[in-house]
Amino acid sequence: MIPVFLKNTTKRLEQGLCPYILILVHMVLGTALVYISPRSNLAFLVLITSFFSLYSFKADRRFKLAAGMVLTLLIFPVVGVRNIFYLEVIFQISVFSALALGLNIVVGFAGLLDLGYVAFYAVGAYLWAFFGSQQFYILHFAPGTQPSHLPFLLPGDAFYLFVFVAILVAALTGILLGTPVLRLRGDYLAIVTLGFGEVIRVLANNLDKPLNFTNGPQGITPIQQPTMPQVAVDGFNALFGRVVGHTVSPADMYNVMFYLFALAVIIIIIFVTRRLDDSKIGRAWTAIREDETAAIAMGVPLVRMKLAAFAVGASFAGVMGVLLAGSRTFISPESFSFMQSIGVLSMVILGGSGSIPGVILGAATVTILNLQVLQGLSLYLSQLRQTDAVIPIINFAWANLSSQLDPAKYQRLLFGLILILMMIFRPAGLIPSQRRKREPASDEAEAKEYHGTP
Amino acid sequence: MKRFLKSINIRELLRPIGQMILFSLGSTIVLSVIVLLLALILDRTVVGQTLIERLNVSLFTYTLVNLPQVAIDGLTIGFVYAAIALGYTMVYGVLEFINFAHSEIFAVGAFVGVEILIALEKFGILSNASLVMAYIYLILAIVAGMLAAGALAVTVERVAYRPLRHASRLVPLISAIGVSFLLQDVIRLTESLTSGQFNRIMPTFGNFDHRILFGKMAMGATQITLGVSIKSIIVIVSAVLMLVGLNYLVNATRIGKAIRAVAQDHSTASLMGIDVNRIISLTFLVGGMLGGAAGVLYALKFTRIDPFVGFFPGLKAFTAAVLGGIGNMTGALLGGIVLGMLETYAGSFMGVFTMGAAGTEYKDIFAFSILILVLIFRPQGLMGENVAQKA
Amino acid sequence: MALLETVDVVKRFGGLTAVNKVNFKLDQGRIVSIIGPNGAGKTTFFNCLTGIYHPDEGQIIFNGRPLHRLRPDQIASHGLSRTFQNIRLFGNMSVIENILVGMHVHLRQSPLSTLFHLPSFKKEEKEAELKAEELMTYVGLKGVGNELAKNLPYGGQRRLEIARALAADPLMLLLDEPAAGMNPQETEEVTRLFRRIRDQKGITILLIEHDMRVVMNISELICVMDYGEKIAEGTPDEIRADTRVIEAYLGRGAVAGQHEKKVA
Repeated sequence: MIPVFLKNTTKRLEQGLCPYILILVHMVLGTALVYISPRSNLAFLVLITSFFSLYSFKADRRFKLAAGMVLTLLIFPVVGVRNIFYLEVIFQISVFSALALGLNIVVGFAGLLDLGYVAFYAVGAYLWAFFGSQQFYILHFAPGTQPSHLPFLLPGDAFYLFVFVAILVAALTGILLGTPVLRLRGDYLAIVTLGFGEVIRVLANNLDKPLNFTNGPQGITPIQQPTMPQVAVDGFNALFGRVVGHTVSPADMYNVMFYLFALAVIIIIIFVTRRLDDSKIGRAWTAIREDETAAIAMGVPLVRMKLAAFAVGASFAGVMGVLLAGSRTFISPESFSFMQSIGVLSMVILGGSGSIPGVILGAATVTILNLQVLQGLSLYLSQLRQTDAVIPIINFAWANLSSQLDPAKYQRLLFGLILILMMIFRPAGLIPSQRRKREPASDEAEAKEYHGTP
Repeated sequence: MKRFLKSINIRELLRPIGQMILFSLGSTIVLSVIVLLLALILDRTVVGQTLIERLNVSLFTYTLVNLPQVAIDGLTIGFVYAAIALGYTMVYGVLEFINFAHSEIFAVGAFVGVEILIALEKFGILSNASLVMAYIYLILAIVAGMLAAGALAVTVERVAYRPLRHASRLVPLISAIGVSFLLQDVIRLTESLTSGQFNRIMPTFGNFDHRILFGKMAMGATQITLGVSIKSIIVIVSAVLMLVGLNYLVNATRIGKAIRAVAQDHSTASLMGIDVNRIISLTFLVGGMLGGAAGVLYALKFTRIDPFVGFFPGLKAFTAAVLGGIGNMTGALLGGIVLGMLETYAGSFMGVFTMGAAGTEYKDIFAFSILILVLIFRPQGLMGENVAQKA
Repeated sequence: MALLETVDVVKRFGGLTAVNKVNFKLDQGRIVSIIGPNGAGKTTFFNCLTGIYHPDEGQIIFNGRPLHRLRPDQIASHGLSRTFQNIRLFGNMSVIENILVGMHVHLRQSPLSTLFHLPSFKKEEKEAELKAEELMTYVGLKGVGNELAKNLPYGGQRRLEIARALAADPLMLLLDEPAAGMNPQETEEVTRLFRRIRDQKGITILLIEHDMRVVMNISELICVMDYGEKIAEGTPDEIRADTRVIEAYLGRGAVAGQHEKKVA
């Protein structure tokens, strides 16, 4: 009885103007809630999820595109500037979406389990960190002993150049690392890529001697950012100053700018992924994932195609690395641990490997769980710790709770659970990928002929 | 009694001991010769001069004097790797699956053993224990670590791998990575809840830290004492005992025969009346127990453990298993010993040979380089047969 | 000149010699079968021809070129296409995509034209799709282009494998037990399909088959293998009368005349 009722309701909701109204209501509700209570996590969640009602309801593509643009280009930045923590969450979601989409090309399409994906992220990050900081001038100084007032090697605007350099360098690294190992069987490949990830991290940690390239575990800082035109800051203030409630500083604008950068990268990745997926290359990748032996027997050059997947995936990670170095102005080897690689992998697996909307959903979910739920719990616990409250029955004072129990530190638990549960219960992910339906080409041709000769 | 003695297959007891001696001596000799040759060559270059200026000793002498200690250290860690590697190799032999969570099973073993000893210490039992009792407590800790790790390995297989046995190859691997991460934080959570911290120190008791001295050697102005700590001897002896026991189990008993049959072919084995699931559980149990014991031994040797302690030993043991030829038990033994030796030699001498540009800090990725080289040039490992993927 | 010629091809696995000094010649435009008991080395021989295994000794010359050191994808691009004993389709790709993968070696699209959907790309894709649909009709799979390959019925999957192999415009088709698991009617149909492929497209066909009805019905030449060696070669009538063949199949002392029985 109830399922039938539900089915009818959802059917009714899919008709006519209903989806449009629902999407709009969701968006407006989210925006309003966040506007009224800028500190509420719940309100923010309502806003973020409006993106997914946008995705799931059936509506005109142009409407969806417009609504999506309003959401990402207008509402998110303004909301983010009002509460800088939200901007951080949105930025991280975009960064991880981009990384996950890049990894998705390798794992989801070509079926190569790459456990060292952040290695390429690190390559991009250290590339700009080296050339965009004073590191060049302290090559001969041990970490911490450099003189002060050193010049920068390159101007901050070289950042834009390095976005493109990073594509090349990361792709080359991918080819270099991939060439010897891509003929290995899948499970070996996974362990070897893990090894490469660790090698890159250990190198970053130790290449402070004999020449100080990476400044060791302390990391490189300050890293330059591209110049922010005053016009942008003023313009934003003039347009949204009243809504935001305070004057926006250039620092805030930087955050918005890097968020928009990440967004641009995401759009480019989606574009490239879609186009490749529908071509000889994408079909070869999927064929390799499905059955290597059959693929190679059909004339698909296995190693070359795998290298291509590796290189494309790596180049996107490289770009995001440059972005990370620029946005954080500080990087250290810690950001490129094995855990990060697994974090990105769990996003791909959760959302659905091979599925673009799935992977974005996965990245958003994991990031929100990480940043909002786990950290929210941490905050709550640390508040409890400062009170006299006790846990009833066992009579345990919250104040005695170890600070090691900080939920924010339990990301591994989260990633681990996601991977296990998804593999057992839903290996295709939350939004499984779907093959494109093709219009029969002959029908179209016939139709053309028919119209051509009436 | 006589019949029992008769039923023991002496050959299967002696064979692995012979192999161990052969592998240990072989790798010691080969590596020592290589290192000494390198030292001889580098002695005439700027490397040797730097050392003379610094320590007033030639590079060759320096190398020669340090060699015995390095060899013993290498052997100790090599046997630990071998014990862990056997866990990987047995599971791979039976399921063709890399049990990525094996490193955490090792860590759980270490924690259980260490926690028991810490508890004993808290009650003042350890500090008053006689030497005999100290050994009994250590054995107790090792056995407890083995049981806990074995039980955990069986549970993990049942919960996270068995439902995925017929899925494509990467699916159980991803699940195993998940288990590995989950267990790391579960250990951390449990330790944080019970003891308030997650770094644990192996209590000092008995005479394990004592060093048996062989003598002294002059190295320039300083004197180097040669010796071996009781710890290292315990680690090596326990590992040898376990490896002999395992070899016996697999090669000379009915259960072992069943394990080998399942490794050959699941469906045929089940047609022969073997309960395949039971044998797989058993494989995980045995592999887990070995890993758990290795964990306690590791804690004994290196004293400090944390929830992530399994990661590098696990990966290196996997490398050892691949190096020896995955699925091959003698290979795992050989791989473990060779890798432990290689790594210790490299870690000890690379710093001096490269004038400090690259030293011990690269020890952990050294194993990976070996893994990659092996997989590229000899994917079947040192002792494995060529396992071409079936078309 | 023969289209395919093998000279003393040997393949060993450890101590087992799976293919032992096989000499074999195949002229253009013929339909030839390889038969032999299970484990006779037929599939290993196929795998040597298609580069999945490299023979330990001997030469394989196809269309005037030596093949035995090439990778499978290079061999495929030289015009040697195959199907598999246990169907190996790309299960989660649609039927038409499976066929398009078969055209991989002929598609010239560059990454640039792919990314920006240049006219050359669009034209080529359209032509490829049209050709794929033609092939679907040709093998009897019209109208199922958007189905996932794994959802096709068994016979359909066999046909799709053939269509995928044809998509590469091969000079020669290697079919590994194409009629296995089919009922008599389906068998009849694919047999006719093979003959059509040869007659209309001029493609040489080499097949491994256990179903003697198919073999005797379609083959112009039969090659018999046992224990890795070629023990006989001849027309169906010659093979029927060959005592060594009967021995290999039925053991010594078997009554002649039982060869029509299906030996699988």
